[in-house]
Amino acid sequence: MEPRTEKFKELVARELQNPRSQKFLKVMPPIQNMKRSIGLSTFTDIEAAQAYGAAIRQEAIARLPELLEQFEKNALANGAQVFWARDAQEANEYILKLAKERGVKYVTKGKSMVTEETGLNEVLSQNGIEPWETDLGEFIAQQLNLPPFHIVGPAINVPVEEVRDIFMAKANLKEPTLDPVELGYAARLFLRDKFHHVQMGITGVNMAVAETGTIINVENEGNIRYTKASPRTQVSVMSIEKVVPTMKDALHLIRLLCRNCTGQKLTAYVSMDSGPKKKDEIDGPEELFIVIVDNGRTKIYQDLKARQVLRCIRCAACLNICPVYGQIGGYAYGWAYSGPMGQVLNPLLLGLEKTQDLYRATTLCGACKSVCPAGIDHPSLFLYYRHKDVTVDPYLGGKARPPQEIRFFKAWAWAIKHPWLWNLGIKMARPFINKNAREGIIRQIKGSFADWFRQRDLPMMAENTFHERWKNLKKEVYITKPT
Amino acid sequence: MNKVSLFIPCTVDLFLPHIGEATVRLLRSLGISPVYHEEQTCCGQPAMNAGYQKEAKKAAQHFLEVFGEDEIIVSPSGSCVCMVKYHYPELFENDPEWQRRAEEVASRIYEFSQFLVDVLHVEDVGASFSGKVAYHESCHILRGLKVSVQPKKLIQAVKGAELVPLNAADTCCGFGGEFAYHYADISESMVKNKVENYLAIGADLLLLGEPGCLLNIGGYLSRNHPQKKIMHLASFLADYRREKT
Amino acid sequence: MEQSSARQEIIQKLKQAPAEPVGPRPVLPPLAELSMTQEELVKRFTERLVEETGVVYRVKNYEEAVEKLTEIAQAENLKKVMISTDEVIGQLNLPAWGAKQGIKIMTPLDFADRDSYKDAVFLEADAGITGADFAVAESGTLGIKHRKDQARLISLAPILHIAVVPIERLVPSYEKAIDQVFANKNSLPSQFVFITGPSMTGDIQGVLFKGMHGPRKLMVILVG
Repeated sequence: MEPRTEKFKELVARELQNPRSQKFLKVMPPIQNMKRSIGLSTFTDIEAAQAYGAAIRQEAIARLPELLEQFEKNALANGAQVFWARDAQEANEYILKLAKERGVKYVTKGKSMVTEETGLNEVLSQNGIEPWETDLGEFIAQQLNLPPFHIVGPAINVPVEEVRDIFMAKANLKEPTLDPVELGYAARLFLRDKFHHVQMGITGVNMAVAETGTIINVENEGNIRYTKASPRTQVSVMSIEKVVPTMKDALHLIRLLCRNCTGQKLTAYVSMDSGPKKKDEIDGPEELFIVIVDNGRTKIYQDLKARQVLRCIRCAACLNICPVYGQIGGYAYGWAYSGPMGQVLNPLLLGLEKTQDLYRATTLCGACKSVCPAGIDHPSLFLYYRHKDVTVDPYLGGKARPPQEIRFFKAWAWAIKHPWLWNLGIKMARPFINKNAREGIIRQIKGSFADWFRQRDLPMMAENTFHERWKNLKKEVYITKPT
Repeated sequence: MNKVSLFIPCTVDLFLPHIGEATVRLLRSLGISPVYHEEQTCCGQPAMNAGYQKEAKKAAQHFLEVFGEDEIIVSPSGSCVCMVKYHYPELFENDPEWQRRAEEVASRIYEFSQFLVDVLHVEDVGASFSGKVAYHESCHILRGLKVSVQPKKLIQAVKGAELVPLNAADTCCGFGGEFAYHYADISESMVKNKVENYLAIGADLLLLGEPGCLLNIGGYLSRNHPQKKIMHLASFLADYRREKT
Repeated sequence: MEQSSARQEIIQKLKQAPAEPVGPRPVLPPLAELSMTQEELVKRFTERLVEETGVVYRVKNYEEAVEKLTEIAQAENLKKVMISTDEVIGQLNLPAWGAKQGIKIMTPLDFADRDSYKDAVFLEADAGITGADFAVAESGTLGIKHRKDQARLISLAPILHIAVVPIERLVPSYEKAIDQVFANKNSLPSQFVFITGPSMTGDIQGVLFKGMHGPRKLMVILVG
């Protein structure tokens, strides 16, 4: 997917005025949050359960190279084939090669965000191989050529009218209908034919278990199970951080993933593959290819602070709780990953200079951090990226700040250590700040603060600051009555 | 009682000095004679949030020199307390001596309601107010300091005050410092939601503990619903005390 | 060779990065299900699966299981059914049952190749009847080891899936199932699945419904 992260403010302005996005955002995230709370309540100690998940992911990332080697060894022993791709191009070319070698005309795809990142679908279709997204939300987004609105429900905001129209045009919907269930059934019929005849399927990977060489997918629809049952060739694509140490660890993470994501105790299907099918099985893949993708993550891994981003399990709890996401929806973030997890990941994959709004458009309210089952400290990362950006870090990227701003903070830092200068500065700023004040209220200040005043007033800067009032306060005679 | 040192955030110093005065009056009524170091300037949060950590460190060093000898530091702000408690030790991670000083001070700093309830063990300050009040849970106070029970205890101990539930009380009001004017359209959308939730419950007064939130929500109310009231918890408790000093 | 150099590069870069100590695991209280009696587990399993619109029948023995299948076949108007050849289904002698009921019973073994089997399971079968290796109480979940006698599409392609599970296979938690399935690294099933209720989605405007790509109905017959 082509990043549009530099268009953030423009996309935000558009989405805040989009009645359909706004209507959706009023309803869905609150429902998801409620479901999440209910789902988590099956744990007798929710905090411990979340903290345990965070500990598993911390260990997985701390031991990443060793666990990847162990995973590969066991996957190979199971009969899978493993391909390592340094970047998007290597991954896409390899998968294309597999498809061409097998004379495949189309593939069915289970949801895979890393292939959105690498742009696999474009490469396949440019080479005459049709990539059918089969997760209903991904299918709708694909047919409408829309970016994802939410990492779990990519087309969940699309109104039924649009779904009806596109299904009539492209998915053999015969009778127009606005009933989501009937529309879903039409998609079922249309895609069923694809599942039936598919020769090569491509899935993502939720977890890769090092202990046994097993890949795990969670889903509700069944499209991933089809993609793993019907074709002779299965390709499963994972980014390097998907690995977890043991099956027991994977089970705990699956419990957390399902509850944090949809509030379910378990999704309808969890499928665990340890190699291709055995010789005597009639369905299942004869060949299983596991593609391990780096695409910028070994670089992230070098930074001890930034690498916690790799702990993410893609549950979207942070999207659903984020008050900023709740106003603007997924399009504004401009790439495959949205919400707070996108705000911490996209800057590392795309560079800090291309994503400056992503790590600044947050109040640091900490709601994301408070719900994250992987223990990621998003606010601390936002501050870290801002710092790296300001210092134009050669490794993570960054763009020099406006000279006016640099000068301001230099002066500010100097005054801060010299109270007489600090207080003098305040005295001098007062007439400027209060220029338009009337009856103690400021309704306008020109310049960088101007936008505050579109919808808000400010009390005028006090004629006597607290600092000045203290001179009298400290002299006041008072009688204390201890309670 | 050991000397209590006041840390007055610049938002209060410049725009809301009455909150500082209220804090002083209230502490005095509880038998505390707070000191105020006049050399204090700013905790450094604006620079920290803007990514200027070198400059933020300078502010931190000044703060630690000013407050370094104090046994207890109290502030009517959660975000400034979080800055000192959590960010100062991080800022000095490569400087063991300053980090030690930062950790010392971090262990002695309290948000206003936290200090009253957890340290002074006071819930009833002798205030009374007839009416319904709602409480907005500021992000740094709630999630940063895990302080939520304390302000509510203080409110519930006010004679005649009825604490009514506020929908999405713990959702951010959209201030976020620079965010409020750099991403003003998102910020406006957030504060509008907060105010709609306040308007929906027929409360007489909205209380909170964070000056930034007060400027934000208060600023929106002033422009759009000037008859609706909002107060900082310290001002509320001081102003409605039955025995005036 | 190209490949080993990509692998080398990735692993090397990761290994040369600064080390991070592994933190301790917090203490996790055990699941409530671990201390339940069998009857409590049956109740929990049933509640959880019914929440997901699954249907659970409890029968005493395999004869009663076949009677239940007869009821279901009549209610659902089943004409053609694909069945597994696992040891549980083997107990039911379904070919004979089918002959009596006028229901065409198909198994994967009837087909010479994958493609003709797929045609049958996608286009002809009104239902898939399989055994299951586990019933997990904590979420009303079936655990199935796919193998020659337990083909994958039987519990996926037909609109109705009926699973027959002996009560001895009821376990409280996923771990109890996984411990057994993954005990021997040298004989792992090619695929192991957990199935909890019918297929579903909420991807259109958040409206939840059952029967997206997989079965719309799931029925479990607990035997014993």
